Amino acid sequence: MNKAAFYDLDGTLLSCNLVTTHAYYARNERSLLKSVYQITKVLLSVPLLFGLDLYSRSLFNVFAFRAYRGMHRDRLIGLADDLFEVTLKPSIFPGADALIQTTRNLGYRNVLVTGTLDFTIRPIALHFGIEEVICNRLEFKNHIATGRVLPPLLAENEKAKSIRQYAAQEGIDLKESCAFSDSSADVPMLTAVRYPVATNPTRRLRRIALHNHWPILELRETSSKFPPFLRTVKAL
Amino acid sequence: MKSLTNWRWNAVRGEYEEGGPPPLQGTGEISAIDAFRTGTVLLLGGTGFVGKVLLAMLLDRFPELKHLVVQVRRKKNLSGDQRFYSDVLQSPPLRAIVDRIGGEEVIRRKVEVVEGDLDQPLCGISPEQLRQLTGQVDVVVNLAGVVDFDPPVNESIEPNVYGTQHVIELVKLLHAKLVHVSTAYVAGKKNGRISEDIPIEGYFPLRGENGDERRFSVTQELKWYEEFVEDTRQSRLTNSRPVRERLREGGMNQAEHWGWTNTYTYTKSMGEQLIAQTPGLTYAIVRPAIVESSLRFPFPGWNEGFTTSAPLVLMGGEGVKGWPVQCGPLEIIPVDLVAAGILIVTAAVLCGKNKRVYHLASADENPILLPRLVAFLGMNSRYKHKHKKSGSRIANVWKAYVETQVITDKSLQSRRARLHGGLDVIHAVLTLGKTLFGPEKIGPYLKRLRDTRRQIRQQEVTLDKFLPFMFHNSFVFETRNVREAARMLTNEDLKRLKWDPETIDWADYWVNIHTKGIERWIRPVFAASRKMGS
Repeated sequence: MNKAAFYDLDGTLLSCNLVTTHAYYARNERSLLKSVYQITKVLLSVPLLFGLDLYSRSLFNVFAFRAYRGMHRDRLIGLADDLFEVTLKPSIFPGADALIQTTRNLGYRNVLVTGTLDFTIRPIALHFGIEEVICNRLEFKNHIATGRVLPPLLAENEKAKSIRQYAAQEGIDLKESCAFSDSSADVPMLTAVRYPVATNPTRRLRRIALHNHWPILELRETSSKFPPFLRTVKAL
Repeated sequence: MKSLTNWRWNAVRGEYEEGGPPPLQGTGEISAIDAFRTGTVLLLGGTGFVGKVLLAMLLDRFPELKHLVVQVRRKKNLSGDQRFYSDVLQSPPLRAIVDRIGGEEVIRRKVEVVEGDLDQPLCGISPEQLRQLTGQVDVVVNLAGVVDFDPPVNESIEPNVYGTQHVIELVKLLHAKLVHVSTAYVAGKKNGRISEDIPIEGYFPLRGENGDERRFSVTQELKWYEEFVEDTRQSRLTNSRPVRERLREGGMNQAEHWGWTNTYTYTKSMGEQLIAQTPGLTYAIVRPAIVESSLRFPFPGWNEGFTTSAPLVLMGGEGVKGWPVQCGPLEIIPVDLVAAGILIVTAAVLCGKNKRVYHLASADENPILLPRLVAFLGMNSRYKHKHKKSGSRIANVWKAYVETQVITDKSLQSRRARLHGGLDVIHAVLTLGKTLFGPEKIGPYLKRLRDTRRQIRQQEVTLDKFLPFMFHNSFVFETRNVREAARMLTNEDLKRLKWDPETIDWADYWVNIHTKGIERWIRPVFAASRKMGS
């Protein structure tokens, strides 16, 4: 049976989040006036989004995606490469590439499981050489974003559910699989596999990881201190 | 990238739909598998952009293929056979396919290469080989021809008209059927929906418009052509303008006279008319629109065509901002869909279920509007110039952040006038500077100005060539016949041959497949040719 390595993205492999991504699109509107208007909107929404993220990741996502309302899909796709080069690529953690390469070398199928949107994910997945992606999609009407996300909204429990569905569909043994995330919102995803790894953990996730004896991995600085199960398998 | 989701993009409605693609259901009146298992195909023009993809698809998708004969022209010291095995099979679309199906040995068992040249009677195939092929070939698929829009008229008429005449002779001699690949733009300067049922013989685009009662005859045209070429060559001593230039202009004027957009479409229409007026010939004419990078096969983004939209994409990438376009569709179609379409038609011809004309285009089912393409060009320019390390910084910032615009023809002309006026002023200042400060100091600036002017002139010429398809006319080519033919295939055929332009996600195609394909495959060739030119 196959095994997979499930990766969260924001905060785990890179330091961006939905707000920085949206800020990029706001900066790159068709006209300067529109850009100023959109940037103001993003700035004003930051305190609210910060509070929401502390309360519920799902609610945070719902509100963050509303900022896309009225945007043309062509523009979102057309600017994705630039977004990657300007904003996302510089924020990739130093150890991220090495980690992904390691799990690949060890025979894991790398899968991104993220709340990020499909058009944003594409260049990132290409960069990491990851073929399989479970992500969110915006709803469009006549090519224009409505600001809603197509169900299921991928966050918290839904990530764990998607992983189980994916495993059943692709013949993946979750007992042999691992998952990497930075956030306590992803605890359901981490507990869905045998080898959860708290990666660049938030304070809350660090506490949970220590309590459950999960390995803690820091990718924010170059490090070869991979968790024991990876070291063991690598040694084999 | 494999995205694990139940949502499917509906390109026509511009929204996601739940569920997988609809099941493939054919009536089974045509079996492509059986047709290629029992029939022998003779392919002419298999070394071109479409030809290579078609060849790859036929070899890859139909392992049952009985026998394929490919005619290849000798090139300098390379025989047709050598050229096929060293050039064609080693080209990017075929290399991986050849390995996948078992290497050159398998190809040698299935494929017979014959040397020939369309400029010669009976396509230049030797009498001995003709004897072997007679009664053996079931269908001739002709993809050969010159696709340049405005070459000297002789360079277009010889292959596209006389060449077609040679193909007809060959088909008659072999007692075979004919699939002839033309272009949808033989319609000429027309607007609106273009039917596949318009009579071919005697057609010219201005027929019936504003009471135009003229009669068009290929014989008369060829008579005009012979006289025109003879006169032009004879006046070589008395007329100082280059013969080549006058032949080019003569072709364009004659095309214009009957209502065609350029020499290419004029000569292709004449080729079609020769076929249509041949008694007893079983034929199908396939008319693709503008053929673009592959969507899926042999891999996304394969392109080697300069007469695709590649020059426009390259110009967009260089920072051209004003685009004169209508709010209509650009009739483009990926090369792998064209190859699939031709194979579907070939199967229909082999099964005796064909119609006369098949348009292969996209706008009938899933139009991509020109203003959307202009926006894509702008975003590509933004990306390229934002990350460009060379050139003027101010120019790069301007090209990155100033958006592309849809403009009118009048506005285009006034922009050009202003630009050239500005360049004239700069030239005058630099010339004065050269006198004052010497050529060592000012010379490099003058050279750079000359290069810029040449580049701008090239861009203007390219844009003008495309104006009939983007601004002066707005077409939608009806594609009922190919859809009907695809519906007549078996379910197994439908897994191998996909005619599904309605599913093309244009944003993804243009940004992630087509533009990247052009940058990968065309730009290096374009840059090399420009370097040689300068």
